[in-house]
Amino acid sequence: VVPGETALAFYKAKNPTDKPIIGISTYNVVPFEAGQYFNKIQCFCFEEQRLNPQEEVDMPVFFYIDPEFAEDPKMAKVDLITLSYTFFEAKEGQKLPLPGYH
Amino acid sequence: MSTAMNFSNKSFTPRPPDKGAFPLDHFGECSAFKERFMECLRQSGYESAACRQSAMAYLECRMDRRSLYSLKCFLLFSSFLLRQLMANEPLEKLGFKDLINEKSEEKPAKS
Repeated sequence: VVPGETALAFYKAKNPTDKPIIGISTYNVVPFEAGQYFNKIQCFCFEEQRLNPQEEVDMPVFFYIDPEFAEDPKMAKVDLITLSYTFFEAKEGQKLPLPGYH
Repeated sequence: MSTAMNFSNKSFTPRPPDKGAFPLDHFGECSAFKERFMECLRQSGYESAACRQSAMAYLECRMDRRSLYSLKCFLLFSSFLLRQLMANEPLEKLGFKDLINEKSEEKPAKS
């Protein structure tokens, strides 16, 4: 991935149970310092997503790395950035704390 | 719940996506485009830059699609709103400006 260029990535999620599940996901970026340069244009996260029994879906993330990443001397040795998502089962009345969202 | 194995006070603050969330493609309407993109990545050694055409095609599919699920809801509830798999956005604004210019340059040459 080239800083400044938009890129697409796919994750896959499966509901192995016999009941529909409503999930909500949040993400993490490693190394921590690279997180400030990671910009998501669109993804599947933060909103409740329903997965029917045994359903498997592709989950896209459309993002770019801020071009200033290439100017930051602290990032000079960083050649691998890992984006991970954790899915939680959405509970009634619960929302993930997201300052400034919605 | 922290996934970072460090003792610092830093904690990762998630930021929402610029253009919101993708609805799920429950019916796999754009799966073929996704497969083409993934095949391109495998063949190019996972070089994202080499597969931007395929990425653009996938996003175009999402923008063109009306979800079948929404169609059923439309019939049931007479809603006048059909949900797309991605809000329409000019491709130049999604970082594909150079690929659009290439396309429009090719067309006059062929005719």
